[in-house]
Amino acid sequence: MSANLDKLVEDIVKENRAKAEGIKREGLTQIESSLSKARAEAIRDADQITRNTKTECDAVVNRRVSQEKQKARLAYLTEKNRMLDDVMREAETKLVEFCRDESRYRPFLLKSIVRGMEAIPSEKVKVALSEEDLRRYRNSKLLEDALARMQTTKTAVLSDEPIKAIGGAAVTSQDDKVRVDCTLEGKLELMKTQLLAEISKMLFAS
Amino acid sequence: MLEMAKREISELRKDTPNRIASMRQQILREAAEQREKALADAERAGAQEAERIALEAKRQVESLSQIPKDRRRRAVERAIELLLS
Repeated sequence: MSANLDKLVEDIVKENRAKAEGIKREGLTQIESSLSKARAEAIRDADQITRNTKTECDAVVNRRVSQEKQKARLAYLTEKNRMLDDVMREAETKLVEFCRDESRYRPFLLKSIVRGMEAIPSEKVKVALSEEDLRRYRNSKLLEDALARMQTTKTAVLSDEPIKAIGGAAVTSQDDKVRVDCTLEGKLELMKTQLLAEISKMLFAS
Repeated sequence: MLEMAKREISELRKDTPNRIASMRQQILREAAEQREKALADAERAGAQEAERIALEAKRQVESLSQIPKDRRRRAVERAIELLLS
């Protein structure tokens, strides 16, 4: 009787132990599963951070490189422009010297006046010169020579009002409605782009 | 015995959100640390490359000032020639 009771108790304990182990096993499996899912999710998020980081790093490098390249290009262009300006200034100085050389300057001035007179669609024209040229050519046959070269019936008078110019002339119609700028400054301005391109080609072509 | 097992599992379950949070925090913290390091490395690499570009630019600018005087003189002459033509 007692042995049977002991056996019964032992069976119950055994059964309960098995059930308890089952409960623990099942519980632990569920917990492990939750942890595993959460870990996988965290790793996915971390991977996303890593992928974004790659893009961010590329952007950081590109930004620095791009900024520096832009700075470098600006410095290079600034230096080039400075050199071009220097050459242009030197050319202007040489032009002043050229204008002082009567034998070379007079034919140029004559050509400038002819060009100006040809462009004015009026029979009577006024020719304005710089103060220095006005002094130099007032009593010379400059205009007569220009008209003779043109072989025209036009008439020309020298304006008493001097213009501000290194050299060359400004020709206007009698009524002042049409004006042709044949000064060196005018030509310089007109040809600036072409001059800069030409100088640039000569200076910087490798 | 069964109650004890249930209690034990219940305790573990109760603690699971904390464990998950802590594990997630650790994984993301590591990723964030790697990100910081990678960004610092990228800053350094960018700075190095920028320095190389700056040096090259300086060399190029210096090479401009070494243009032969003769070439410069010819450029001035050509400009005058064009202006007077």
